[in-house]
Amino acid sequence: MDVFGSFALLLAFVCAVYAFIGGIAAIRTRHPLLVKSTRQAGLATCGLIFLATLSLEYLFFSDNFSVAYVVAHSNRSLSPFYKVAALWSGQEGSLLFWSFLLAVYVFSALIAYRNKNGELMPYVGVVLAGVQIFFLTLNNFVASPFKALGVAGANGAMDLVARGDGNGLNPLLQYPEMVIHPPNLYSGYTGFTIPFAFALGALLARYPGEKWIHLTRKWTMIAWGFQTAGILLGAHWAYAVLGWGGYWAWDPVENASLLPWLTGTAFLHSVMMQEKRGMMKVWNVWLVFCTFLLCILGTFLTRSGVVSSVHAFASSNIGNWFVGFIAIILLVCLTAYFKNRDYLKSENQLDSIVSRESSFLFNNLILLVSCIAVLSGTLFPVFSEWFTGDRISVGTPFFNKVNIPIGLLLLFLTGVGPLLAWRKTSLDSLKRNFGWPLLMGLIAGVIAFPLGVREFYSLICLILCVFVASTITMEFYRGAKVIRARSGASFLASAVDLTMRNTRRYGGYIVHMGMVFIFIGIAGTAFNKDVQKEMQIGSSMQIGPYSLLLQNFDTKQEKNYTAERMIIEVTRNNKPVMMLYPERRIFPANQASGTMVAIYSTLKQDLYVVYAGQSPDTQAPVIHVYLNPLVKCIWFGGVVVVLGTLVALLPNRRAVLVLSAVQEPTRVKSLAGTLTPSPTLREGHD
Amino acid sequence: MIKLRVIFLATVLCAAGSLSLLVSPLPAQQPSDRAHQIGGKFMCMCGCNQVLSQCNHVGCTVSTSMLKEVDQALARGDSEDAITQAFVQEFGTKVYAEPPYSGFSLVAWSMPAVYLAVGLVLVLFVISRWRKRPTHAVNTAAAANNHGISPEMLERARLRAARETQD
Repeated sequence: MDVFGSFALLLAFVCAVYAFIGGIAAIRTRHPLLVKSTRQAGLATCGLIFLATLSLEYLFFSDNFSVAYVVAHSNRSLSPFYKVAALWSGQEGSLLFWSFLLAVYVFSALIAYRNKNGELMPYVGVVLAGVQIFFLTLNNFVASPFKALGVAGANGAMDLVARGDGNGLNPLLQYPEMVIHPPNLYSGYTGFTIPFAFALGALLARYPGEKWIHLTRKWTMIAWGFQTAGILLGAHWAYAVLGWGGYWAWDPVENASLLPWLTGTAFLHSVMMQEKRGMMKVWNVWLVFCTFLLCILGTFLTRSGVVSSVHAFASSNIGNWFVGFIAIILLVCLTAYFKNRDYLKSENQLDSIVSRESSFLFNNLILLVSCIAVLSGTLFPVFSEWFTGDRISVGTPFFNKVNIPIGLLLLFLTGVGPLLAWRKTSLDSLKRNFGWPLLMGLIAGVIAFPLGVREFYSLICLILCVFVASTITMEFYRGAKVIRARSGASFLASAVDLTMRNTRRYGGYIVHMGMVFIFIGIAGTAFNKDVQKEMQIGSSMQIGPYSLLLQNFDTKQEKNYTAERMIIEVTRNNKPVMMLYPERRIFPANQASGTMVAIYSTLKQDLYVVYAGQSPDTQAPVIHVYLNPLVKCIWFGGVVVVLGTLVALLPNRRAVLVLSAVQEPTRVKSLAGTLTPSPTLREGHD
Repeated sequence: MIKLRVIFLATVLCAAGSLSLLVSPLPAQQPSDRAHQIGGKFMCMCGCNQVLSQCNHVGCTVSTSMLKEVDQALARGDSEDAITQAFVQEFGTKVYAEPPYSGFSLVAWSMPAVYLAVGLVLVLFVISRWRKRPTHAVNTAAAANNHGISPEMLERARLRAARETQD
């Protein structure tokens, strides 16, 4: 099966090369058969990548320990659940997994537009094939997951061998979220390839209008949704597994996932400027280019060893390939831009600085500043080493100091932006829309201060959260009220109806509401507490309102690991709350160990208990307990954000009204004589 | 209007509720563990890329010994600066959890402000340019003409976008 997988990958590479070269020839010659055959080659590339991926999974499930990658990342006692996850647990497999997810997107795009957008798709196909060629080059010639296990023989030649069992999966990855977090994050990274291909294809083809934006909006939202879910699942995994009491450490790998998310978020906002007013065309194209480049840069940071990270793959020379690829993409994008930049001229003027357009500009500015600040902070150790010879670390305190004010500015704009009108906002409208929300925010601040919320940023954050929540509530209330007056339906039904009539707008508001919850959860961080203590059986410790009594500890033998388990009784005001069982797991296959945190989670706070190991001096178990307020708001907010994204992806309930609204006979008549209608814009989209 | 007020009142109550949840039972922070506090300013040198006081690797001897060093220095009466200098001498500048406010590290601290300032100037420049542009209708027709598509098709796409992004 390893030979089959290798062959499938090699054939996929050949097909991708054909799709790329044939695609360029098809663009030049416009020969229909060539166009069709390159599209088929693109589909075949995807199919072959699917087969290769299935082959590797088969090797894991059949415990084929003659393949080096299987030996390194699996063992016989590994549960089937984690054998799926073993696919992306190492460098080679994760690159194949990247190719696999990219193939899913490419296949879907090629199928979805097989009979549409005939002028644009050959360009898109070439760009997609180009990206696939890069990853297939890595899969085939640089980091093949199908390499056979070999040892140096007596005559110096490599002898193929098979091991009786493998090294097992990294213990940190043996957690349910690691089965869903990487696929989500990778789906985000790879998903941004589609808008990139359409943006570059449209620029190369000088494709008319904003159609590439309409075509890619949903793809971008899908990628963004996956990226968001992936980041939050990763944060939850870090929280529940790494055992340091937090969920975000500004680790280079975490930062790498945040960078394209920030530019992708900026794009999802600024794209409305182009759709609505024909503005920011250059900006949008470059935002898409940058988002894709940041996806590749993030992958480079993770895999090259250029920055140290607890999450990073082993350092290797693979980084040079990514640097080369980034350079090529940048060169192609710059060339396409300078050659066709007249195609991107804006069409409209800005009527007022107090307008939706301006708010989008500032929103984009803040998101981009945050992105560049995170990027430069992540790379600062490298720069400092280049310039001074000393590597200066940049850790959590720096990123918090820089990004908290930026995040609060962004939160403020989240409340302000949707309330400003396009073109111009009058003073009356400002008073009407901002009066109540501002008052609500200030009242919340006045209530919070005497209650003890005196940490500056937390107080500001809570005021802004109430402000933004009020603006969103008001928007829903006003719209639902109108529908209710007309239909007589209940308020809730009217709100649902309102949402379904304009899913994009109200889905966006739901996403904003989710972000409010996330910010509330982050604000709670300022009130975290922790206590660490060496404990004996029968001893107890106190944190906040909770008392923890170490009742006993035991050893638990599982199929793949042995766990040292603490048995802790939690009480509050002398009343039992629950039992917690923090563990330390030892994995004999690779002699690695890991923690399993025990969490008692309520809406109000998390009691987070870690068995930190035995004291080197007394051999007594050391228990580290954290009390983290409002953490649940973050996970709840994440669910709301994903829900809002799904709503925004739904089609509007009464879309047909849009078409009838533009069929004004006078307008059509007056314009019909000037230009010949093009079939390209008639094709359905969304 | 009454309902609007009811909604606002509910929002305020919810906010107040969450705030009281946040605050009421938590006692004040305990800065008694000085070593733990100072440890927040350094990275653990075990390679975990975590702040020293947060390093929780099971059996991590590096963080334990580093925190012990801090404790010993405090017992000798060393100042925080002296402890910092001792760590920098021992491990190099990579021991800092955040760049110090001196020398080349000032670049790291000043850059975000520079990005913001440059970005702000750019945005204001763009806004001023956009305000001087010619009107919508002329440009739409010109843009449509340039690309060889019908204005009604372009307008239809715009109307759809307008509806999807309406106020």
